[in-house]
Amino acid sequence: MNSQQSQYSGNLKYAVDIVLCIDATGSMGAILDQVKESALSFHQRLNTVMGEKGKAISQLRLKVIAFRDFGDHPDDAIEATDFLLFPDQATQFERFVRGLRPTGGGDIPESGLEALALAVQAPWERGLDRRRHVIVLFTDAPAHPLGSPAQTRAYSYPRSMPRSITELFEQWGVPHSQGAVMENSAKRLLLFAPEEPPWAQIADDWNNTLYFPSEAGEGLEEWEMDEIINTIANSL
Amino acid sequence: MKQGSLLRDYLITSKPTNDGAGKCVWAFAQRNGREYFVKEFLEPKRPRPESMATPETKRLQHAQCAAFERRHRSVIRRIDPTDLDAGNLVTAVDFFCEGTRYYKVTNRLYPANLAAPHRLTPHQKSVLLGTLGDSLRLLHRLDIVHGDLKPQNVLLHRPPDSDLYTAKLIDFDDAYVSGEPPEHDLIGGDHKYGAPEWFRYLRGDPAIGGDALTTAVDLFAFGLMLHTYLTGALPDHDPSHTSPGEAVNAGAELQLDPRLDDRLADAVRALVAVAPADRPKVNKVLRLLDDRSALALKADPAVRRPGRVRASPNGTSRSAPPQPTAAPQPATGPQPATGPQPTAAGGDRPTRLRINLDGRAPRSPKRPPEKDEG
Repeated sequence: MNSQQSQYSGNLKYAVDIVLCIDATGSMGAILDQVKESALSFHQRLNTVMGEKGKAISQLRLKVIAFRDFGDHPDDAIEATDFLLFPDQATQFERFVRGLRPTGGGDIPESGLEALALAVQAPWERGLDRRRHVIVLFTDAPAHPLGSPAQTRAYSYPRSMPRSITELFEQWGVPHSQGAVMENSAKRLLLFAPEEPPWAQIADDWNNTLYFPSEAGEGLEEWEMDEIINTIANSL
Repeated sequence: MKQGSLLRDYLITSKPTNDGAGKCVWAFAQRNGREYFVKEFLEPKRPRPESMATPETKRLQHAQCAAFERRHRSVIRRIDPTDLDAGNLVTAVDFFCEGTRYYKVTNRLYPANLAAPHRLTPHQKSVLLGTLGDSLRLLHRLDIVHGDLKPQNVLLHRPPDSDLYTAKLIDFDDAYVSGEPPEHDLIGGDHKYGAPEWFRYLRGDPAIGGDALTTAVDLFAFGLMLHTYLTGALPDHDPSHTSPGEAVNAGAELQLDPRLDDRLADAVRALVAVAPADRPKVNKVLRLLDDRSALALKADPAVRRPGRVRASPNGTSRSAPPQPTAAPQPATGPQPATGPQPTAAGGDRPTRLRINLDGRAPRSPKRPPEKDEG
């Protein structure tokens, strides 16, 4: 077998990147504990399911973006980790997740779209043979519109933010679109959010999006980690 | 779609889920007293007039929708439901776009709960594998590659008052016209049953263009499925490889179960050849599957063919549990492995008695089973 042949033989290597966008405002209280608990056991469950399918993930990275409200309290409107490699950096992940406290937010809506934009712009893995780039967003509230002055004037507001939902959608992209920053065949978005703007519209317009609606202000009782595991394990 | 809501005139009767599905969510539904399986695709989305997309993105979305519809409708159109071999293909009864999303509807199936098909009698195996081969022959005659052939996409059906099982082939979402697969980063399939050329195409090997992915991709998977249905496990291979196709692609040899009849072993060995052109057509294999003596396993597992079948280096697969042939979790979303049974697939197209096109005797599900020789 020559070198060119060997380049295309061998076992397929799977890269999985997951960004958890977690609403950490006061109203999330009990559900935040549930999200945290599941996040901490997530990689083990994923490995188990992948093993049952005879597959092994070659590289698993998780990143957490906790969000609140720039307009309410810019100091902790966003708390985030880098992509953390599992299992090597599991301790770092665990420390961050355990440290999340439901606080602030003021009145609804929250800065969920900013968190989503930061997730879209994350440094996703581009190598290995097959990739899955998954954003999971948990919130019980609608989101401020992008470009809202109450948000953008906050000193901590990220410069990279798209100025509108249209611009954010361009970054999410569709096949062959020029402005997309995500890899179309790899990306998935799971929305655990109420049927409020802009989540329902995103679910309507964005491809590769799974929407699990909840009632605003009534928590996220129906969300299940299995939906996230399925999204990864069944599509690699 | 939501449980309890109407999608066109389908009443969604279960909570939509992505269980067993990577590129869709699915649910069960009812219409006019009949039960259906409804799949909602994650992609493409047809842009709303008030969509947040720019005009250029809307143009791209419309183009993608048109291509998506063409691919699905071309497969649907090519398969004539009245064809003699079409009775065990579970094809779409409806395909439409509602709002921004695409949906595909098939009849709901109630598959038999059969955990170990390899323990069936040779006659039962002949019927099961023959009906699977018939479906594959039809697809290949129409130049269609199923693209995701695996036990999870075969539902076993037992007609009323029969001990025989037929194979219902499901999930044509990854199907394509032979030689015209989706782009390498979009092509579907399962690495456990993937052919060597599929692996190379998926990796972007410049030597493997779309024209290299033909119906022979299915034949490789068919060979692995024959081995699985007959012995209860995939062929063994060096444990450094995670699937038979990867092993063959790397130049390694698969170790077949030595209990296989020599003729069957030769057929499986040919089906899993590294070169697509070396794999025999379905018709040739079907003739062998009609010979029940070829489907009985040898009693003495020590019988080997020197120089052709090597000892397993890990010795694990032979005793591994059987593949989930009753298909509780197909990629399209599971049809329940248990439940009201047996009924025909959706009640409209039961397995039929018929004369095969090549003049072979029909495979009747009414013929009595024979003693298990497995």
